[in-house]
Amino acid sequence: MIKISDLQKVYRTEEVETIALNKLTFDVKEGEFVAVMGPSGCGKSTLLNILGLLDDPDGGSFLFNGTEVAHFNERKRADLRKRNIGFVFQSFNLIDELTVFENVELPLIYLGVKGPERKQRVETVLDKMQIMHRRNHYPQQLSGGQQQRVAVARAVVNNPKLILADEPTGNLDSSNGNEVMQLLTDLNEQGTTIIMVTHSEHDSRYSHRIIRMLDGQTVTENILV
Amino acid sequence: MIRNYFKIAFRNLWRHRVFSFINILGLSVGMSACLLIYLYVSFELSYDRYHAKGDRIFRVVTNIKTPTDTLDWNSASIPMSPAMKKDFPEVEQFVRIEPNSLLVSRGETKFQEDKLAFADSSLFSVFTLPLVKGDPDKALAAPWQVVLTETSAKKYFGTAEPVGQTLYLTGSRLPATVTGVMKDFPDNSHFKYDILVSMTTWTQKINPGLDDQWEGFNGFAYVLLHDAKDAPGLKAKLPAFIDRHIGKDLQKAQMTFTLDLEPMKDIYLRSKRGAPESGSLPNITIFSLIAVFILLIASINFINLATARSAERAKEVGIRKVVGADRKQLTGQFLGESVLLCMISFLMAVGLCALLLPLFNQLSGKTISHGIFDHASTIGILLLIAITIGLFAGIYPALVLSGFRPIAVLKGSFSSGKKGILLRKGLVVSQFVISIALITGTLVVYSQLTFMRNQDLGFSKQQQLVINFDGDSTIWQHYEAFKQQLTSLPNALSATASSAIPGQGNPTAYSQLENHLGVMQPTNMELFSIDYDFIKQYGIQIVAGRPFSTGFPSDSTRAILVNEEAVSTLGYHSPQEIIGKKFSQWGRQGTIIGVVKNFHFRGLQNAIKPMDFRIRPRDFSFVTVKISGRDVQKTIAAAGDLWRRTLPNRPFAYYFADEEFNKLYRSEDQFGQLFLNFAILAIFISCLGLLGLASYSTLQRTKEIGIRKVLGSSVGGIVNLLSKDFLKLVWIAFLIASPLAYIGMHKWLQDFAYRIDMDWWIFAMAGMIAMLIALFTVSFHAVRSALANPTKSLRTE
Ligand SMILES: Nc1ncnc2c1ncn2[C@@H]1O[C@H](COP(=O)(O)OP(=O)(O)O)[C@@H](O)[C@H]1O
Ligand SMILES: [Mg+2]
Repeated sequence: MIKISDLQKVYRTEEVETIALNKLTFDVKEGEFVAVMGPSGCGKSTLLNILGLLDDPDGGSFLFNGTEVAHFNERKRADLRKRNIGFVFQSFNLIDELTVFENVELPLIYLGVKGPERKQRVETVLDKMQIMHRRNHYPQQLSGGQQQRVAVARAVVNNPKLILADEPTGNLDSSNGNEVMQLLTDLNEQGTTIIMVTHSEHDSRYSHRIIRMLDGQTVTENILV
Repeated sequence: MIRNYFKIAFRNLWRHRVFSFINILGLSVGMSACLLIYLYVSFELSYDRYHAKGDRIFRVVTNIKTPTDTLDWNSASIPMSPAMKKDFPEVEQFVRIEPNSLLVSRGETKFQEDKLAFADSSLFSVFTLPLVKGDPDKALAAPWQVVLTETSAKKYFGTAEPVGQTLYLTGSRLPATVTGVMKDFPDNSHFKYDILVSMTTWTQKINPGLDDQWEGFNGFAYVLLHDAKDAPGLKAKLPAFIDRHIGKDLQKAQMTFTLDLEPMKDIYLRSKRGAPESGSLPNITIFSLIAVFILLIASINFINLATARSAERAKEVGIRKVVGADRKQLTGQFLGESVLLCMISFLMAVGLCALLLPLFNQLSGKTISHGIFDHASTIGILLLIAITIGLFAGIYPALVLSGFRPIAVLKGSFSSGKKGILLRKGLVVSQFVISIALITGTLVVYSQLTFMRNQDLGFSKQQQLVINFDGDSTIWQHYEAFKQQLTSLPNALSATASSAIPGQGNPTAYSQLENHLGVMQPTNMELFSIDYDFIKQYGIQIVAGRPFSTGFPSDSTRAILVNEEAVSTLGYHSPQEIIGKKFSQWGRQGTIIGVVKNFHFRGLQNAIKPMDFRIRPRDFSFVTVKISGRDVQKTIAAAGDLWRRTLPNRPFAYYFADEEFNKLYRSEDQFGQLFLNFAILAIFISCLGLLGLASYSTLQRTKEIGIRKVLGSSVGGIVNLLSKDFLKLVWIAFLIASPLAYIGMHKWLQDFAYRIDMDWWIFAMAGMIAMLIALFTVSFHAVRSALANPTKSLRTE
């Protein structure tokens, strides 16, 4: 599903040049659950952003379902993104002005799904995430675990093929963290490909494969069974 | 999608109530100012537009040229327009209007009708002034016929039928029949009368022989052409026309008359000759500009606050992009928000206008509108303008916000709105440029007004009680005795009678005066007829010769006093030289016996022109009683009693000379007041914006302030830190605004023959005012955050 080779990303500021990704090469098959690990600053988030088509690489190739997308313009990327990819962030990134229901509804709005269908799909996913009873609350009124469940709900509501999660449990206590990991595992079992960045060895055990990174390069790939 | 936009727009407005309030308040105040000005300007532009044949109506006006000067008059003599109709097939019809002031009575109901005019019957067919009752062709055809407006019909007859009834003109002597009732003149007419009397009454009965008097200019003449396009051709034929009719007489008098045709639609605003009511194109331009400026200031607030808050909105933008929004959709969302805000402001503006309209009518001195909701189309236009502002003001923030790159924002490496800072500063500067320029303008207008009110006019206007007897013959025939009775009133010092009071218009008399070469030079002189006490009582100084004196019998018929201006016009170097020179004026010949020091017999807008005094009781229309100023009410009451005993037929009309003179500045006064109000609005809206920006930047620097306080900075130091940046902007604005204001106000002052110099302090003061207000606004937040507990602000990180 994903095939990257010699992927490069360089950040240039006035004083320094940071090579965030240095000729990175790997691939991810459909239905895999991959954990990306590595010390802080090694380029994990950068990688995830490029995989999520939020950012473009400076060099190398990125095949998404067989299509070269490394040089897609912003509109094309946005289009591909909203149809295929869902995101989960460490800091939830919910819109404070919108209710739980409205936050989850948002991707469907941008996809152009009609009102009644939207309502039904949002309710289904909220039910699945067990936060239906909070549908009219605002994010600030929820606990961290609940907020992350909303974020996961939002990431999956448009049935994406790929979910990218950047330290999804980073801001959660272990019981809430485990709940979220369970949700991701369930999704994966239903066929969704998942790439997750994490610092936690515990969380990484939910995945099939661990990619370890150092200074913008992969060092090892452990396959877990 | 749209519903989602509006939902989030509303929630955003509500969450950030203070910002929304500042924005909406500023915009709605700006919009209502604009709406009011729009109403005012469109009212001014609507003058005389209601005449169906307006395009074909022209006012006949006369330029009178003598060897010394040219008078551009707005009138034509009685025979001119009828002769034009007879001579030129292009002329379909003419109307003459001769304004006058007569005492009109019906039994005990008596009114001095200042707004009375003699007019031709054709008035009803040429102008769109419909009769409610009566036959428009005949209503003003024969002598002693009167047409009343609906209002004056009610005044005299109440609910009774007026047509066929009798009214008496000039008290009780001249009966006239009411032959019609007309609708009141529309507010936007450059002439308005309450009572019309047939022209034949004037030309055949009151002033027989007037039909042949080509040199008498008092009233107005209008011609209706078959085709407006004929006007230039007709104009070209007018010199020959004048020559044919009175060429010989004019040559003898060394005068030329040049007739001109002014399009009806241009009279109110564009004629330099004036009209019974006339407007000012510059003022309209100024107010239109002010409206645009105020709207601009309000829109700038909007842009500034929206971009300043962009950092707060950045996260939302990032998330929306991550879940699939593209830039177009986000731009649409932000534009939608600003349009929504503008619509809310618009609704408030309409409400505000409805409340303010009566006040504004009062301020502008006329009924520009009877109610805001009479102007559906205007409101529609403003709604469009509001939406346009929403789009215009929203587009920049929308583009900035929608352009955020989601990863930068969500990673938190996003630096808050640094990009917009220069633009924001520029916009704040331009707001204050406008505000400071308006403040400067206001100060200049008020200084000029103060100057005009306090200027030594060259005559004494204090404690002069003026009684208008409107030339009643009972008075001037027995005026010596009447004067005696007046001087014996309590606290009365002296009394004098005259044809006019300084400050009012005088007839311009065609005169011939002996100049320094010994030649009789034709000169236009403004003429005052006075009695022997006038010069002394009004404190007018004699600089050469002597005042009128009963000791010289010839003074009453063969002597005049001239002013210094006349002396120099005639080429003399000193006033002494003119004493004893000959004059010939309006049927009198004789010598100049004295020269008075120049005094302002007109408002300070006008330069002092040549004038003269003569003795002629027949012309008297006013008595002035000089009073001591003690117990004024008692004097007035006693004068009223005396009046009612002497002239029971006439209402007692009095005023004080100084108050009346100051009325000459009424339109400047109104202008000043409007200017002041709009300047206040401008600075108010600017400061609202400043308040918003200041609170925002203070918020952003909360942590810095906390650290500084921990390190020992004083409250004053922090206030200074936070205010400095803003005050710098005001200072820059001051440097830009001052020359602009100077240029603008220099132009405005040109309308005044006597005017102030714009001293540096006016500009300094305007700058100071703006600076203080800005400082106050900014430091409101600065002080609050400087006083806050630093541990609190540091903990929020
Ligand atoms: N916008 C940026 N500008 C400059 N340098 C950046 C930017 N984003 C990330 N970096 C740098 O790139 C490297 C990789 O960052 P990141 O991918 O966020 O690491 P990780 O997520 O593994 O902690 C780091 O050294 C970081 O400082
Ligand atoms: Mg990271």
